Amino acid sequence: MALAQPFPHPLRHPVRHLQARFRRWLQSRLTPRDVMLLTQRNVYILPTRPGLMLAATLLVLLVASINYQLNLGYLLTFLLAGSALVGMHLCHGTLRGLSLQLLPVEPGFQGASNTLAVDLVSTRKRVRYGIAMRMLDGSQWVWTDVPSQGRATIHVAFKPAQRGMVPIPAMTAETRFPLGTFRVWTVWRPASRVLVYPAPESHPPTLPEGRPIAGCAAQAQVRQASGEFDGVRAYQRGDPLKLVVWKKLAKADEMISRDTHQAQRHELWLDLAETGIPAAASGVGPALESALSRLCAWVLLADRMGLDFGLRLGGQEIRPASGEAHKRRCLEALAGYEGGA
Amino acid sequence: MKAVLERLGHLPRDARDTLFLLLVIGWVLVPQLVRLPLWCSALALAVLLWRATLAWNARPLPSRWWLLALLVLTITATLLTHRTLLGRDAGVTLLVVLLTLKTLELRARRDAFVVFFLSFFTMLTNFFFSQSLLTAAAMLVALMGLLTALVNTHMPVGKPPLREAAGIALTMAALGAPIMLVLFMLFPRLAPLWGMPGDAMTGRSGLSSTMEVGSIAELALDDSIAMRIRFDGLPPPQSELYFRGPVLSTLQGRQWQPLRSGFPQRMQDAPNLQVEGDAIRYQVTLEPNNRPWIFVLDAAAQQPVARSMPMQMSAQLQWTADRPVSDLLRYSVQSHTRFRHGPLRRTAALQDYLDLPPGLNPRTMAWASELRRDPALGGDPARMIDAVLQRLRTGGYQYTLEPGVYGQNTADEFWFDRRTGFCEHIASAFAIMMRSLDIPARIVTGYQGGETHSVDGFWILRQSDAHAWTEVWLAGRGWIRVDPTSAVSPGRTGSLQRLRPVPGAVASALQAVNPQFWLGLRATWEAVNNRWNQWILNYNQSTQLDLLKHLGFESPSWEDLGYVLLALLVASSLVGAAWTLWDRHRQDPWLRLLARASQKLRAAGWPVAPASPPRRIVQTVRERWGAADVRAQALTRWLLALESQRYARPGADGATQLARLRREFSQLPWPK
Repeated sequence: MALAQPFPHPLRHPVRHLQARFRRWLQSRLTPRDVMLLTQRNVYILPTRPGLMLAATLLVLLVASINYQLNLGYLLTFLLAGSALVGMHLCHGTLRGLSLQLLPVEPGFQGASNTLAVDLVSTRKRVRYGIAMRMLDGSQWVWTDVPSQGRATIHVAFKPAQRGMVPIPAMTAETRFPLGTFRVWTVWRPASRVLVYPAPESHPPTLPEGRPIAGCAAQAQVRQASGEFDGVRAYQRGDPLKLVVWKKLAKADEMISRDTHQAQRHELWLDLAETGIPAAASGVGPALESALSRLCAWVLLADRMGLDFGLRLGGQEIRPASGEAHKRRCLEALAGYEGGA
Repeated sequence: MKAVLERLGHLPRDARDTLFLLLVIGWVLVPQLVRLPLWCSALALAVLLWRATLAWNARPLPSRWWLLALLVLTITATLLTHRTLLGRDAGVTLLVVLLTLKTLELRARRDAFVVFFLSFFTMLTNFFFSQSLLTAAAMLVALMGLLTALVNTHMPVGKPPLREAAGIALTMAALGAPIMLVLFMLFPRLAPLWGMPGDAMTGRSGLSSTMEVGSIAELALDDSIAMRIRFDGLPPPQSELYFRGPVLSTLQGRQWQPLRSGFPQRMQDAPNLQVEGDAIRYQVTLEPNNRPWIFVLDAAAQQPVARSMPMQMSAQLQWTADRPVSDLLRYSVQSHTRFRHGPLRRTAALQDYLDLPPGLNPRTMAWASELRRDPALGGDPARMIDAVLQRLRTGGYQYTLEPGVYGQNTADEFWFDRRTGFCEHIASAFAIMMRSLDIPARIVTGYQGGETHSVDGFWILRQSDAHAWTEVWLAGRGWIRVDPTSAVSPGRTGSLQRLRPVPGAVASALQAVNPQFWLGLRATWEAVNNRWNQWILNYNQSTQLDLLKHLGFESPSWEDLGYVLLALLVASSLVGAAWTLWDRHRQDPWLRLLARASQKLRAAGWPVAPASPPRRIVQTVRERWGAADVRAQALTRWLLALESQRYARPGADGATQLARLRREFSQLPWPK
């Protein structure tokens, strides 16, 4: 799966190019893991803008104390500086020792918001206040406090850009507690992958026509529903027991069902080759993606209507059925389809 | 009232935080309110109240135009009040205005930070005016409040009680206090980095270099301590406790100034001091007064001994240092209360002590010529002095703190109209009268009296002990001290009565209920204050260098302070780095114990992988020894206990269990 977004142009946006390269390099250095214990090595700290403002304030206070020879001014300045220094350690300690644990991730649709549940586990006696998390390239922080020797669960929203078994993008946790003068953060690449289905087309065309069952469909004469049996056919899962030809089973050890007019219904097949999008079946790229996304919408629609349906993706075929498990199978097949074949 | 309290408990988070911050800002501003221009105090209070009302009722903040208008208005007002926007007082006014107006603009996080930083400055400005223990305590509370508010803004989840934020702020301050102490003791005390505005040192009181009638009366209201003395032995009788300060010999209009002689230096009289009797030895701790004056008990013939502070004596017996006393100064002195000085015969230079401003005090002059012609006195200076003192005693003159405002002819007014005055009125009128009588006279200012401090035993002289007396010259005797105030009010110099300003309501109530308790309270308070002054306020470069000497530096300089600071910094960084290293290698104690177990088995040649869990090891043990073996059972029991400790619900006894397992480790039958 193509992960890498292209870097910004090195000549047109040299700074952004370098930033992107640096970021990629930094992330590639991180070992992906689902449980990350934050230690001195993976927790970073830098002063914030208010932190620099506080430093400037302290400097002015110091100069005022010197110029006016105020010993109490010195005391105030140094107490404030000492408190800020302790605040720096508290800030770093808020993340250090914390353990981030990724909870099982539900599959989601491409381009739709999915949530990652992360447990923040603290073994320390002190409460850890004001910890925020988000995806590294996200913008929405989610805040929580972690109780003493307890855990807090954070739900981080992310929008997968690709379908398939996608690695979970890097996340970041941050805190500015207690004084806001330092930013302490960490970057975390979970090892788990998340299954992403294609984005369902928002206004798909109606489901394709069902087609008669292969083999007998051509000769089958359409009669009025009379309840009479027209013949036999191979047993299909879900056939009522009263339709099974028990004698045949006893003789040939083969399950044969009586074929009624009702049973000879049309089967709904969702086929990649018949989505109405040209060049989808053979191709890769946008045409394939939009075809998959239409199929995805159809699968959801058919499932909602309670229809039996099958799915054909190139050489891959899923026999018609219905139900939650079937829907999942189909969606998984759509998610993992590589094209070609 | 109850409803208000109820509401207070259920305020939304925003409103609660804002009200708390406003409360803290109010607390920071309270000490300033009396010193600020009236309009500024009123505006600050009004804006804070307005902002609080907005928060209480959850109303929107005023628009930026309002703020801009208010800002322009207040800057104009500051300019009009102080005639400048620079300098200390104008700066403080502006700062208070900016701080309060900024509370009306608390929109983003950045605004909150600006408010915090402005508040820190405002706290510092309080120290321009007072560095007393009380101010320090109030500002400590303010700092805790500000830190609490700052911590609270960084607890974004829910509505945590302020108590929690306050606890964290306290922890930070408590842990920061050692850093503060080290920096305070070791940060080099530099001289002011650039020239100070002229108003920098006001607010420090004391005697001045000139005496205008009315100036010492101001000091009488000032109960602060001027100097502390420890006598080696008993203090001399109180009537001899005159501590000599500036001598004022030239009268300009109504202002007494130091001698401005028309005579060249070689014609000036030498001090010609001769002392008699036993010396009185004592150490003086002089409060900083930004004057070069060294106050000594009249009269000290030898130079007072102070470290690195050369002193010299003027012709008028006044000791001065070579630079202003800007820190607490300690010196030891030998004085003799019996002495004589000045020329014995009339010299030309004495003419300086007879000059009077022309045309002033005509009635005093007339009275003087009347006295000189008085046959009963026969023109004898000593008898004329007695006559004048007699008039002071019997003429209905009164010693008062509130003599009213004197006009140009101060002596006339004192002698004939008002007949009331403070020591400087009396001394000035007496000296003018002496000069009118053709007796050389001058004014000596200084401190007189004092009292033993009941707690720490120091002899205390306060600014309210400031005094002015006169010296007259008599042929054959030299300069003689005459204190006309004692003639008016013998108690002032004899038993050291002081005119006290009316005490405040609480103080007077306390005084009325239990005077002994009140005195004890005051004494304790002053002793604490003394410690505060000695340890905190007077901590200066010389104290720092003393500290370095104790640390073993031979000849410390302020660069050494830098080295000590740097060494401490390096040491603490090394400790931090060592801790980090240790922390990095620190393993989970459970894992360590398991590793020790598998290490033991591997040492015996058993196939145990380093990362085997206890259950896997149990398997190996059973394979090797068989499940029925006693040794295998003991090991199995231990390993399974180790496992269940790991997966037990986290509880208080987890650590003790692990400790028990660790103790059992050595007694287990490990394979050899």
